[in-house]
Amino acid sequence: MKIPYFPGCSLKTIGEGFEKSAIASAAVLDIELEELPRWVCCGTVSSLTTDDLMHHLAPVRNLIRVEDINETQLVTLCSVCYSTLKRSNALVKNDPEKLKTMNQFMYRERDYQGNVKVLHFLELLREIGFYKLKEKVKRPLKGLTLSPYYGCLLVRPKEFGIDDPENPTILQDLVKSLGADVIDNPYQLKCCGSYHTVDKPNLVADLGYKILTYARNSGADALVLSCPLCAFNLDNRQREIKRQFPDFVEIPILYFTQLMALAFGLDEEKLGLEINYVDPMPLLKEKSLIKPMSLIKE
Amino acid sequence: MERGYPDYMLESIELVKNTRERRLKEIPELMSLEEREAILRQYHPDYKEGTKRTVKVGVNAGEVMPNEVADLIEAYPLIDPTQIDLSMIDFDCDLLIIGAGGAGLTAALWALYSGIDVNNIMIVTKLRMGDSNSKMSQGGIQAADCEDDSPSLHYLDVLGGGHFTNDPELVKWLVREAPMIIQWHEELGVMYDKDEEGCMFVAAGGGTCRKRMHSAKDYTGMEIVRVLMDEARNLEIPVLEFNSAVELLMDDAGKVAGAVLWDMEKEDYTVARAKATLMATGGFGRLHVQGFATTNHYGATADGLVMANRVGARIIDMDSVQYHPTGSSYPEQIVGLLCTEKLRGRGSQPVNKYGEEFVYPLEPRDVESAALIRECNKGNGLITPTGMPGVWLDTPLIDILNGEGTIEKEFSAMYLKYKRFDIDMTHDPILVYPTLHFQNGGIVINERTSVVNVPGLFASGETTGGVHGKNRLMGNSILDYCVYGRRMGIYATEYVKNATVGKLNLDHVTKYTKLLENAGISKERRAPILLPEYRGERTISHALPLLG
Amino acid sequence: MQEEAEKEKMVKVYIMGREFEVPATLNIVKAFEYAGYRFIRGIGCRGGYCGACATVYRFKDDYRLNFALACQKAVEDGMYLTILPFVPAEKAKYDMNKLKPRGTVLLELYPEIARCVACNTCTKACPQELEVMDYVQAAIRGDIEEVANLSFDCIQCGLCAMRCPAEIVPYNVGQIARRLFAKYIAPKAHPTHARVDEINACVFDEELDNYIILAKEDIERLKKIYVEREIKVG
Repeated sequence: MKIPYFPGCSLKTIGEGFEKSAIASAAVLDIELEELPRWVCCGTVSSLTTDDLMHHLAPVRNLIRVEDINETQLVTLCSVCYSTLKRSNALVKNDPEKLKTMNQFMYRERDYQGNVKVLHFLELLREIGFYKLKEKVKRPLKGLTLSPYYGCLLVRPKEFGIDDPENPTILQDLVKSLGADVIDNPYQLKCCGSYHTVDKPNLVADLGYKILTYARNSGADALVLSCPLCAFNLDNRQREIKRQFPDFVEIPILYFTQLMALAFGLDEEKLGLEINYVDPMPLLKEKSLIKPMSLIKE
Repeated sequence: MERGYPDYMLESIELVKNTRERRLKEIPELMSLEEREAILRQYHPDYKEGTKRTVKVGVNAGEVMPNEVADLIEAYPLIDPTQIDLSMIDFDCDLLIIGAGGAGLTAALWALYSGIDVNNIMIVTKLRMGDSNSKMSQGGIQAADCEDDSPSLHYLDVLGGGHFTNDPELVKWLVREAPMIIQWHEELGVMYDKDEEGCMFVAAGGGTCRKRMHSAKDYTGMEIVRVLMDEARNLEIPVLEFNSAVELLMDDAGKVAGAVLWDMEKEDYTVARAKATLMATGGFGRLHVQGFATTNHYGATADGLVMANRVGARIIDMDSVQYHPTGSSYPEQIVGLLCTEKLRGRGSQPVNKYGEEFVYPLEPRDVESAALIRECNKGNGLITPTGMPGVWLDTPLIDILNGEGTIEKEFSAMYLKYKRFDIDMTHDPILVYPTLHFQNGGIVINERTSVVNVPGLFASGETTGGVHGKNRLMGNSILDYCVYGRRMGIYATEYVKNATVGKLNLDHVTKYTKLLENAGISKERRAPILLPEYRGERTISHALPLLG
Repeated sequence: MQEEAEKEKMVKVYIMGREFEVPATLNIVKAFEYAGYRFIRGIGCRGGYCGACATVYRFKDDYRLNFALACQKAVEDGMYLTILPFVPAEKAKYDMNKLKPRGTVLLELYPEIARCVACNTCTKACPQELEVMDYVQAAIRGDIEEVANLSFDCIQCGLCAMRCPAEIVPYNVGQIARRLFAKYIAPKAHPTHARVDEINACVFDEELDNYIILAKEDIERLKKIYVEREIKVG
């Protein structure tokens, strides 16, 4: 199936590995992720003021772009993009007056009809069925223990989450279908610090220390997540964590699509691991997950 | 589809369409040198009776110049030296650069590269930084950097185009340093059109024997000047905007020592003393020689010629004025504006109202202009509703020859210019007529840009003469300001290492005024004019400055 | 030249609030001058290349704001207009040799571009019909080449900067992107470099100096060489 997808700004810069591995692993499942033409930055933060229509223009413009190509679904990878697009979509679907105002403002575009559904890639995979993923696994991630990390925007606020906000399992289900183990991490829903990373990196380091140390102490080899901002805070900011907490031990951070690509037996270059701050390669080599196919013994 | 033309023009366009296929294969022959001379003598505006005269006054007495230029040479200064307090120096610098176009900016950058301290340079311009003819060049810059080309071939082209009247030394450096300028531009970050291998797109121009016009679509001058301006701002080069130089200063050793500046907005004067004064004042299109419309920018009023003349600089080849063959002739709002020669370089043809070709599309500019004038004089051109003559330039040929979308991609400036008036030049031809374009001659310099016999004064760019002789080829004006702007920066910097400035005076102005009085020149004539006068008659005749 | 048989068509325009009747064949610049104004600011090349004459106008009973270059716009009846004399906008200062053409360089130089809400107001203001929002968006995601291509025809008139609610100055971003693209990303022009090396090695000097001698002493011979030179412009 062909489905339009929304990359978002981060996937073109700090999250290149996320995009690369997503497109590659989707292809294995016969899903062609087609980049939405002329997409714009989603705005990243959903405005909470009900009459601030200006900050809903960008997400709605993207939904118009979906209708421009006669499609009705839009898949996102970044949790922030997912949340922003979904919430703006809900706002205008529930409030025809606001939609009319926005359509009139954007008079150079066709009117948004309200017919687009915003999906997170994890939702799409769940719809297809994780057993389908299991069927495509060529290299089960045996011996790899992961700590799923949801962050905030995949499951909050409740109306827009893709899973239970208190006890989500979607990442666990995905990971298990790929053959890996999971641990329970009560910090899996704790905020990574989000935009505080810009001017309060110490705060972010503090949060990261707790999240990652618990994961490490519970036996996790790596964290798996779905958001480039979380990935930046939990991966790149390990530099700050080490500075603040000298006893901290590094732990690799992986996007769920990188795990998929790994399990599907795709080439190293499709994983996009070069951009990770904490190099996952030593871990993957240690677990014999990165040897050439022909040398893996069943 | 809106076609932007009145019905009688649309009828003529049908005739143009009918002959298109034939004209793709049949192109008129190039003229011989003798034929070129003949058509120029008969039809080129330079040869029209009563449009030029011999200058009566000063070091250029005896030179033949168009009346409009002679009017500036035989004119009184704007300032009265007794009103200027030279004991108060407002700006003291090593280099005073008059003009912030291509030559001025290039000179400033190369002066910095040559080691001058940025605080010892000052650029002064009567409008804004970058406001110049340089910014308006469209088609390209010549440089012999392709394999089957050479600077020697470029040299021949320049000399032949100039009717062999150029200064042979100046031409050598022009062609020899051309590829180096392109390389420098690449380092600066000028976006020349290139293919995926890095080979520059090159096109042919009038009078060239090889394709060597490097371009940035049809915004070549603008792209270069934008980058020069960006770099000048990065380096924080001091630029004094909205200040005109109205008279050069001299010192008691007979050297040029700076200029008196006049603030266009505040209407006060300042004194700028400089060890070296660099003249980069550009062209003269706004003098509207013989009443022609012009491609030039608002400030092209030959101020540099006026000031340089008063300090004894020789000016040559002013009897030869370059008209660009294809200035817009319709609609009225854009009359005179440039339609790049590259349009012909990429295949369009001048065609009369019957759809017939009448000249090889890429003769040197003066010949091509004469041919268009001849055709209109014969009655084979159209007249616009506002009385402008014109012939067609069959631009749809460009897409036919090079592929659909060529015009939109390579001539996006031209395409937009006409689109604003509901004319689609990919489907319909455009109406053109010669327009006043370039000052072929000018201040005499040597290859180090020193103004001959005037110590302390340097000059480069359109205000100078000798490089192009009596007719410039397309793509060599950008090259001129780049090569000689650079040389001016380098050599002026070298000069100021050992230069001193003595006591300032405006004696030359007093002397010149006397010469004018003795020659009986009317006091009403004053120069430099700084800006052209376009206000309605009523306003001018009733103008009354009452603010005390 | 033909005499006008009929009376010249006139239109009413309102220059900075003052009513004037001007011929319909004028552009806005010439209308100002016809009305008696002399420009110091707000005019430059008069040919659509310098951005000095950025003009804002409305029509009677129409709330919409329109934008144009005064020198490239025909006057229309009822135009209520002004030319902007100046646009306040600072640009970042940088050393091209020290910049790296990676994805985040534009955000680092102009972090305010992240404030873009994709309202498209800049695009609507652009008299060069550029997709300004698109190139600002490309800048946010680090696509330098796309910014360079989309912004190429920009004449830096400042209308987009004046209209942007996020207070971005798009044309500054376009300028650095174009320079970065041309300097670092576009392929290098090797033939040009090769030729420069040849010239510096004085390969052509003999021939050039010969021509100089001929030009001074035997012009007829030089003319002959000129006429006989092969023309290869096909």
